[in-house]
Amino acid sequence: MTGRTNSINSIIIVGGGASGVVLAAHLLKSPNPDLRVTLIEKRPHFGQGIAYSTLLSAHVLNVSAAGMSAYADDPGNFWRWLQGRGLIGPEQTPQTPFYAPRSIYARYLGELLDELEAREQPTGRLRLIHEESRSITPTPSGVDVALANGTSVVAHLAILATGHDEQPAQGHAIRMGSEADTEIAPDSRVMVLGTGLSMVDAFLALEQRGHRGDIVAVSRRGLLPSPHRKGNPIKLDVADIPLGTQLSYFVGWFRDLIRENQKAGVDWRDVVDGLRPFNQKIWQNWPASAKRRFVEHTKAWWDIHRHRMAPEVYARVTDAVRSGRIRPVAGRVVAVTPGDGFAVEVQSRHTQRLETFEVARIYDCSGIVRDISTSSNSVVRSLVDRGLARPDPLRIGLDVSANCEIIAADGSVSRKILAVGPLTRGTFFEIDAIPDIRVQCARLSKQLLG
Amino acid sequence: MLTKKGKYGLKALVHLARMPAGQLAFVGDIATGNNIPKKFLDAILGELRNAGFVQSRKGKDGGYRLARPADEIKIGHVVRVLDGPLAPIPCASRTQYQRCEDCNEATCQVRHLMLEVRQAIAEVLDQRSLAEMRDIADDLPVVPGMTDLAVVAKVQA
Repeated sequence: MTGRTNSINSIIIVGGGASGVVLAAHLLKSPNPDLRVTLIEKRPHFGQGIAYSTLLSAHVLNVSAAGMSAYADDPGNFWRWLQGRGLIGPEQTPQTPFYAPRSIYARYLGELLDELEAREQPTGRLRLIHEESRSITPTPSGVDVALANGTSVVAHLAILATGHDEQPAQGHAIRMGSEADTEIAPDSRVMVLGTGLSMVDAFLALEQRGHRGDIVAVSRRGLLPSPHRKGNPIKLDVADIPLGTQLSYFVGWFRDLIRENQKAGVDWRDVVDGLRPFNQKIWQNWPASAKRRFVEHTKAWWDIHRHRMAPEVYARVTDAVRSGRIRPVAGRVVAVTPGDGFAVEVQSRHTQRLETFEVARIYDCSGIVRDISTSSNSVVRSLVDRGLARPDPLRIGLDVSANCEIIAADGSVSRKILAVGPLTRGTFFEIDAIPDIRVQCARLSKQLLG
Repeated sequence: MLTKKGKYGLKALVHLARMPAGQLAFVGDIATGNNIPKKFLDAILGELRNAGFVQSRKGKDGGYRLARPADEIKIGHVVRVLDGPLAPIPCASRTQYQRCEDCNEATCQVRHLMLEVRQAIAEVLDQRSLAEMRDIADDLPVVPGMTDLAVVAKVQA
């Protein structure tokens, strides 16, 4: 271990969004004076990525502030920052749920990086580059990261922190906030593909813009996410949890566990949250067939219970559903005919009946990675194209080892190219949110720098 | 605490792990070969099938085989399915907690220590695969070399 520790001094982080900044912060905790961390980001601001670049105050975090510290070993960091900036009242305690606007969170990460930059200025241990990365190539001594401006940066190793992959929108649909998202008549009807948290974001953004028309939200099951409620997760040990079984067996066990707890007056959320510390272990021990079945059949149910929204947001969504403003539809789009807007034919999941909706616009909020090898990120795509990386068996991310090392097409494990965050979800399953990413970053820093 | 059910189930799985890949074993053969009452064995194999550790085929040529390679099946996973949560005493479980008549669980030192013991049990049993257990049972000195050979063969393939 010491031999390796001494050999790694320079690290490039590709992607300066939330996970890149959190990773840099953890790496720079090392006392090593020879450490060099280079953070490369194509967007104008560090620490935002896709998740935290929204300026809308209604777009709040889906996790309460007490869970959003950038540091795994200092859970109160974000909370204290909020208090220091006077953004939460002194009467509020970390036990009171508080869902901060995401733009505030971006500011927190931005300031955190500013502080690191100032602190490391005399040491030269941190370097920020505003540029798009194009490709990573392993060299005998490390890695070479080619940038869009034609230059390249070298280091001992590179860590991909490219975050959520924004895949091209399907068919006639467009992404909200993209260039194609031009103004539409305020009372025109729109369709949203997806009924999850991204659909909720789209609804809030449309309201903010003064849009008043109906929103038809279509997904396979038409399920809306549940709201948070203040609770107390149940205590479980790994010895209680059936690992390595077929999916149906596990789901049966989990349903029984919820039922028994509900009989004792415990909220289902406390059971779902009690399982959280073991989610990665459960995922990693499942046979490949159970993972596949989970993604195909169970994930939609899991997501609406596990990835919940702030109660205030839930109240707005429920009101909109009750008034008919949002109409969730369980079904699939079978045909889209462009004309004056679009005529979208949807087949109901339950009755098989076809219904046609005339809509002015279709927003893609399906949010699921369909295939990582078609990633819009050129670094990821070029690694896969050259066989330096391969998709995980479910193709929802890159195949990585339990140590975050990228696995090549021939199965060899890279010592020079690693990944963190959502890209590693094939191996780590729930690795989309800060509470999980910060733990991964802390572990990786320890692994690399001791 | 491993029950008879857990022990029989593990023995049956070792039996299956010794079969050539893909070949079915008769329930009668497993029962007589391991001194397991046949009716009990039927019930145990049924539970192992529900959990996805074994597959069965009905009929005259029917029988059981492993659903996955023996090195992918972990002993701790099998024991949880057959015996429930890993627990040295019934009160040392979170999900199937059974209160002792004669003590107070909040202050019982025995329970506190046993909650720690169950973590250690899980750590050992979740690391060991059925393939490893099968190979310790064959107390021949060649066995470690054979696993090395298997690894070499895998790498070459």
